[in-house]
Amino acid sequence: MEKISRRSFLKIAGATGLAATIPVTLKMDFQAFAQSVQDAEVTRVPSLCNGCSSYCGVWVYVKNGRLWKVEGNETHMKNRGKLCARGHGIAYNVYDPGRVTQPMKRVAEDKFEPISWEQAFQEIGTKLKQIVEEHGGDKVLWACHGGKETYAQKFLDVIGSDNYITHYASCFTAKTNIWDKMCGGMYNPDFDNAKYMLFVGRNYAGGIIPAAMQRITTAKESGSKIVVVDPRFCELATIADEWIPIRPGTDLALFLGIAHTLITENLYNREFIANFTYGFDEFWMYNQDFSAEKAAEITGIPAEKIKEIARELALNAPQAFLDPGYHGLHAHYRNSNETAMLNVIINALLGNFFQKGGLFPAATTSFGQPEETYFGSKAEKGPRADGAGVAGEYPLVEPGRGICQRIPDMIEKGRVKAVFIYSYNPLRSSPDPEYQKKIKNADLVVSIPVDWNETSFYTADYILPESHYLERTEHPKVINGNIYWPAAQVAARFKALEAGSGNLDLLDIMKGITSAYGLENLYGFTKEEELKAALGPLGLTPEELKEKGVIELRQSVLPKTTDIAFNTFTSKIEFSLGSWRKEGYLGVPTWVPPLVEPKEKNEFRLIHGKQPWHSHIMTTNNPYLMAITAEKKGTYMWMNAERAAELGIADGDTVAVSSEITTKEVQVKVTQGLHPECVWLPSTYGTFSPKLTNGYGKGVNYNDFIPARVDSKTGHVMGQECIVKITKGGR
Amino acid sequence: MARYAMFIDQNKCTGCNACRVACQMQWGLPPTLNYNWLEECVEGQYPHLTRLITPVQCQHCDNPPCEEVCPTKATYRTEEGVVLIDSKKCIGCKYCMVACPYNARMINENGVPEKCRFCYEYVRNGETPVCVSTCMCNVRVFGDLDDPSSPIHAALADQELEQLLPAMETNPRIFYAKKRR
Repeated sequence: MEKISRRSFLKIAGATGLAATIPVTLKMDFQAFAQSVQDAEVTRVPSLCNGCSSYCGVWVYVKNGRLWKVEGNETHMKNRGKLCARGHGIAYNVYDPGRVTQPMKRVAEDKFEPISWEQAFQEIGTKLKQIVEEHGGDKVLWACHGGKETYAQKFLDVIGSDNYITHYASCFTAKTNIWDKMCGGMYNPDFDNAKYMLFVGRNYAGGIIPAAMQRITTAKESGSKIVVVDPRFCELATIADEWIPIRPGTDLALFLGIAHTLITENLYNREFIANFTYGFDEFWMYNQDFSAEKAAEITGIPAEKIKEIARELALNAPQAFLDPGYHGLHAHYRNSNETAMLNVIINALLGNFFQKGGLFPAATTSFGQPEETYFGSKAEKGPRADGAGVAGEYPLVEPGRGICQRIPDMIEKGRVKAVFIYSYNPLRSSPDPEYQKKIKNADLVVSIPVDWNETSFYTADYILPESHYLERTEHPKVINGNIYWPAAQVAARFKALEAGSGNLDLLDIMKGITSAYGLENLYGFTKEEELKAALGPLGLTPEELKEKGVIELRQSVLPKTTDIAFNTFTSKIEFSLGSWRKEGYLGVPTWVPPLVEPKEKNEFRLIHGKQPWHSHIMTTNNPYLMAITAEKKGTYMWMNAERAAELGIADGDTVAVSSEITTKEVQVKVTQGLHPECVWLPSTYGTFSPKLTNGYGKGVNYNDFIPARVDSKTGHVMGQECIVKITKGGR
Repeated sequence: MARYAMFIDQNKCTGCNACRVACQMQWGLPPTLNYNWLEECVEGQYPHLTRLITPVQCQHCDNPPCEEVCPTKATYRTEEGVVLIDSKKCIGCKYCMVACPYNARMINENGVPEKCRFCYEYVRNGETPVCVSTCMCNVRVFGDLDDPSSPIHAALADQELEQLLPAMETNPRIFYAKKRR
């Protein structure tokens, strides 16, 4: 009898059960379970997903004080009632056995002892006071993921530290830095009305924004054309009209070829260029020889195909765009900055800014502040320890985002003595974990995580466990960006589940540390008062927000053809950057080759990306999502079939992967869906905290292989400038 | 009486697995029990590839082999055409698992070969199965074949339809769009 395979599924069925995470309800049968749900009191509380930076709106269903499930909030512009697998799965991390459940103090290498919150605050406050008095407040550093209120700024302002660092340099900083300089901010695509969408290094079906996928799919059904350029046959390519593989690291050449075609064939919007851009002539002067033919030599994409893309973009303009991208191209190559510049330039040549089916700025709003309760002195700020925005160091890097991958250097140079790490795990998310481990050399390291992440386990003197996101009410967020939506939205997390006494909310942690430091009343408000103060100026109340979960404000960003102005010095899109010229660089982008190239038969460029059911390293300890990984052989490294055959490597073989800093073993997935020049790793695996037992020891991470370099202009990690040698059969 | 059915346009699926985990949460399942899953088929040679992902689960057959073989009549069809199992009558012989050509059943912690149940208790209250409501690409549509206002009518209209393993003559209540690749 012919049967549906479910091949891999049957294998995993025999895998070890994960007793600690099995919900008690399992012992019932389905009918009894459904009945119990109907009989029990089920409450529904709004929150925001913590699976990635999209902060999708969720409804949290709680039954008998325990999490039942989460569902998408219908209003939220990032997910419109939908959720991805990780959104469903990560909610369950509230029952993760890898959570830290009380404050911890390191007593030996790899050994901690639980202490009380009072003791933790007193010891940290005293030590911090000592450090600030002896070395100055500017020796204190705060590192976090970024994108949400952390309360740290208030404290840093008082002690005189400018060292607030986010993870952006390891993720997308070339994009945000460049778009800000050229356009005065980010612009986002209008999927609903586009007739032609070009995605280069942007996989919305892997780095998922559910509403983006919903809108792209719907647009395709109405006849919109979707073209995906990516070295890998990524998940978005599954539904695309065309997948065009490109030599990794050469996207800039493709963009230059497209721009050249648009200009030489007179297909660009001359009026838009004349009225709303600055520096076109300079750009053209330096790039008029960079033809589609030249781009073809570098990218491996035929010149005719490059011209065809340019012509189809122009034919459909302004209802056509080159997606501005995200992580994919914007922290990974020596030419990432210029690639981001060309992205702006191509969209400007199409004249699609503020046009239906083109690009729009994010609609936004601002919150009120609780009344100030601190009236003491504030120290003068010292220089940034990472050199971001500092003349002679990294003048073009935005202070406030900084250079997250070089914290150990700052410690070694004596620029940093005390490190606070909030909801952030540089030992796994920054390059070269062995180098990152040196964070422990600071005089004081305090980590504020939810789980036993690597940074806490290997570097922290104190671990102060925050409550899980379903256990806390938080400062509201403006919901906007990444995809076009005409109105800003306001949302917040509301407490759905009770936290254990060993966990605290961040505001209470900050109050505890600063009080012990000697600052009374720095945060003289409760979370409830803060929420009320934030929403007041918008005419909203916490009660109303809790009822709806997400509230949409009035539409404020709509298509227009007049009154177009950009938030730059010239009020135009600047093709030539004054800040670059000031630092001795050419103001306009030109071709920059990648930093390194694979040459030998066994050499490959190592690239990476998000798997649809995992969110980088955020979800690696989740048993539901790791069950999918086991079934799909998700930890495998992808390799092009022809290259694999040349090296005698078969599907499932173990190979040794060597870069300039390490050698690791991994199993190989042999595929037709990858450019021959590279190997691809999902960005998820390689957990090395022994306390995260579901993820521990499974797979490898791209960060294992790359040194902690800094791009000179925007400070990013150049995460795919990495050549690895591959040897069959392990080391 | 409603006649429940599902339409799945596998041409739109990108393989995010939300349906699988949403179902596990809805029914309080452990990580290793999942009653829907994705079958992936990649064809072609670099650089000309197609990838088709087919969501599979209990097909709620009008002519279910699992019901036919069940010695205790634990497996039964509701009036609405939903195939269910009464765990109190089940003796755990697993004959239904062998008979199901879709491999839809999996033994749960109680030793019962359970499977997708079309979120029966919920859809009877007018709710949508969670695998449908969570899907970002609108791959799935659920509804009542006897109700012309049900969304499944619009979804099935003007579609060339396929079913899984038609030669088995199981007459599934899950209709797939014709493969476009």
